[in-house]
Amino acid sequence: MDDYANPWLHRLKWAYLLLVAATLMGPVFYVMYISFNANGFGANQYEFTLEWYGLIFSDQLLMGALGWTLRLAVICTLITVPMALLAAKYYKAARNKVLPVFLFLAPLFVAPDILGSALLVFFKNVNGALRSLGDALGTDALDGLFQLGFGTALIGLIIYTMPYAFVVILITMGRYKPEQTEAARACGANGWRAFWDIEFPQIRAGVFSACSFTMILCFNEYTRTSLLKGGFDTFTTVLISQMLNTGMSEQSYAMSSLVSFVAIALIGGIILYTLVRSDSLAREARAKAEPVMST
Amino acid sequence: MNALGTLKMTETKPAAVEVRGLAKHYGSVVALKDVNLSIAAGEYFVLLGPSGGGKTTLLRTIGGFHRPTHGQVLLNGVDVGHLPPDKRTTSMVFQSYALFPHMTVLQNVGYGLKIARMGRDAIREKSAAALEMVGLTGFADRKPHELSGGQQQRVQLARAMVLNRDILLLDEPLAALDAQLRKDMCLELKHLQEKVGITFIHVTHNQEEAMTVADRIALIADGELVEHGRARDVYRAPHRAFTASFVGENNILRGTIREVDGDDVTVDVAGHPVRTGRRGLAVARGAAVTLSIRSELVRMGGPGEALHSLPGRYSESVYLGLTTSHIVALAPGTDMVSRVVEDLPQVPEPGAPVVMSWSPGDLRLHVD
Amino acid sequence: MTVRNIEGVAPVAAPLREPMREKLARWVFALPLAFMLLFFALPMALTFVFSVFERTMFWMEPGFTLFSYENFFFSARLENFLSSMYYSGIAVIVCFVLGFPIAVFLRKSVPQVAQHRVVLLFILPFMVSEIIRVFALRPVLQRNGLVNTTLQNLGLIDEPITALLYTHTGVIIGEVMSFLPFIIFSGFLAMEAVPKYIFEVCDDLGAGPVRRFLDVILPLAAPGIFAGCTFIFVNGLGVALLPNILGGAGAVNAGLIATQAIAALDFPLAMAVSAIMMTTLMALLYIGHRLFDLTKILSPIN
Repeated sequence: MDDYANPWLHRLKWAYLLLVAATLMGPVFYVMYISFNANGFGANQYEFTLEWYGLIFSDQLLMGALGWTLRLAVICTLITVPMALLAAKYYKAARNKVLPVFLFLAPLFVAPDILGSALLVFFKNVNGALRSLGDALGTDALDGLFQLGFGTALIGLIIYTMPYAFVVILITMGRYKPEQTEAARACGANGWRAFWDIEFPQIRAGVFSACSFTMILCFNEYTRTSLLKGGFDTFTTVLISQMLNTGMSEQSYAMSSLVSFVAIALIGGIILYTLVRSDSLAREARAKAEPVMST
Repeated sequence: MNALGTLKMTETKPAAVEVRGLAKHYGSVVALKDVNLSIAAGEYFVLLGPSGGGKTTLLRTIGGFHRPTHGQVLLNGVDVGHLPPDKRTTSMVFQSYALFPHMTVLQNVGYGLKIARMGRDAIREKSAAALEMVGLTGFADRKPHELSGGQQQRVQLARAMVLNRDILLLDEPLAALDAQLRKDMCLELKHLQEKVGITFIHVTHNQEEAMTVADRIALIADGELVEHGRARDVYRAPHRAFTASFVGENNILRGTIREVDGDDVTVDVAGHPVRTGRRGLAVARGAAVTLSIRSELVRMGGPGEALHSLPGRYSESVYLGLTTSHIVALAPGTDMVSRVVEDLPQVPEPGAPVVMSWSPGDLRLHVD
Repeated sequence: MTVRNIEGVAPVAAPLREPMREKLARWVFALPLAFMLLFFALPMALTFVFSVFERTMFWMEPGFTLFSYENFFFSARLENFLSSMYYSGIAVIVCFVLGFPIAVFLRKSVPQVAQHRVVLLFILPFMVSEIIRVFALRPVLQRNGLVNTTLQNLGLIDEPITALLYTHTGVIIGEVMSFLPFIIFSGFLAMEAVPKYIFEVCDDLGAGPVRRFLDVILPLAAPGIFAGCTFIFVNGLGVALLPNILGGAGAVNAGLIATQAIAALDFPLAMAVSAIMMTTLMALLYIGHRLFDLTKILSPIN
């Protein structure tokens, strides 16, 4: 805000910004509100209860799905984030940036149902081809390599989450000065040590944000997983099938709220972390503004 | 001394750095072409040239940050073209941003020793000694952002020196500093190099900085090694017209050869003949040549000796503090400058006819 | 400092091969690229091949037929596809009008340290599963939902508005609620290409907000704006969930056609729809790239 701007206009803009943010979150908060009502949605009486949450945890199907979802999310994160890190480094070093930009960002622009369908048919065909190949070679080791299941769902999720992890890491890398890597090399560090000792500590925040993003995205993803998962169920697929079969039950409200709580807590954690960090950044800025004079 | 060191004792000592036929291409862009250069051990060597001329590329190729497209880099007589920076006997001081911001000053300086797996106490001791050498005792526990620009460069210096490598590369180490600090640091660098006796190779685009520190200077422009030699010689007796235009404040005059008589050459400049030495150059009548003369060697006024003076019309003077430059138009578009320390008793009116003169031998002939 | 090679500092050895590790490392960096080529680019390219295969009872077999395309272009599907394009376009405009000013405001008037925190505020809804947010719109928008009861309680309306759900309006609302954060993100990144002094220059020259937007901000931020709008447009076309849950009769987009085809085991048709979507996307990206170099999208970060 500059010195001649109308302060009321400025406040109005802030109000608009917060209104939009609140509206976007509105439905989620409303669902949370309903989830604590013993009488469910639309009832005249509001009576606080945790009953619906209790029901979730006694639901075997749901708990099983939760297990699968967690496994998917963790493994996907363990693969996607290091790959995104490599991809970002590759992108930085690449002279021709069109191909990496296209490959690492394009999944954003392919709608979930389209990507899911394409991968589904691709995997089914690869499977058929591998089976014929296996028959010709007289081995059945290749059968079911890309059978729909955990592996295929994982690949779908990696492709889905890659652009987000890539962009988050790239943004933090933007502030890193490559001279520091060269200085480390000049000090005798090999490429790996220069990365691990010098670059990584400075992009750690970005890598951790990428991890939490990837986890959350995996947890929330529905379309691709449901098309590629084969036999097992994840949290969202159970939720959707319950919603589609029995409509919005009180239990589905509770489930939705639960997932939202976790996500909000995670993001809230990041916001708090950046608050603390920006404090130290401000201190740094002050120190820079008044450098200690030369001896 | 390592095996290599003992070897070199028995024979003639190889150059600290030798560059043979070095070229670096980026796609179709040629950053360096066919550079040959030899830098003796213990020398303070400066690579001087305009920005984008290839001097930093040459330094970084010596340091192992760029792989040469053609040619060889030899350090102490050993070809190192295939080695990354950490496997070379060089260490480097960068222009800026190169301190590790998440480490303290002491950790920064000790990092290379830590990589070399030195013991913790030894690291601390040696790092502290290096900090003392650059005058930063007492700053060991600060973070880089708590230091001024000059102090940050000193830390870089300490970090590079502590490794005991025998060649130190400095890539525009003072470019980010203000003028006064740059002057002070120049002298400090020079003294430091004399004290430790290792080879310094220093890149700069600032000729004053180069003259202050250098034993020898190489001029690099357009990816080529234009000229190299002792700092004094490069300043006083440039061989190439480019050197004359870049080092010192030279008048550059264009002319055509009227007559060649043994070692004397007569050149037409703005319609008047002047005489200069041939310096063994291949010249022929009618050829276009360039003449140079430092502005402090030009006198304004007086009759002037034939063939060692040129007439013109006074245009203006520029007061530069210590010196004053008087600009005289020899012909439309051709100016000549006389730079003097003392004030003239009487400054001519603009447009008044004046004569610019010099001593025989001050005017130099270039053919390029 | 006259002593050289003090014990402990490894003497830097002379002829060494380039370490194996570094050689290997160069290949490791290409690994993600290979992964994306194999599991993303290839499957997407193969949709064109599979779309001309012959349909069998439960699967398909190699062949060449344009039956799936006929099936798409000479049926109600084309009409549905075109109308979903129309409504998706409306959603793009609404998102841009509502969201882009926020990105400009953030860059222009919010202190640097606070900017990223405000962006996180908009990441928050995005971190809640899309299906939950879409489903949550039902109790909000339906006849006796939050919006209608609130408006009735305030006395603004007598009868509940029924056009909010199970209509095209419902789908547009869903798209805006789902994708609005993206125009803020991409706008925020794009505005990085507009240095802050630009605003001061504009003030100095007396350029008003409209001129400033048209002459300065739009050209500079165009690649990012285009990326954000394309994202919303193709997802509006491709996310089956939105028309499925919020739309009424006739609200069918490409994503829904594809998943319905999969459910009906008509795989070639699903592939044809995918291929058509890829063509649409490629055409958009090609136009965007010709108009304003799209590799610039990431340049603000560098």
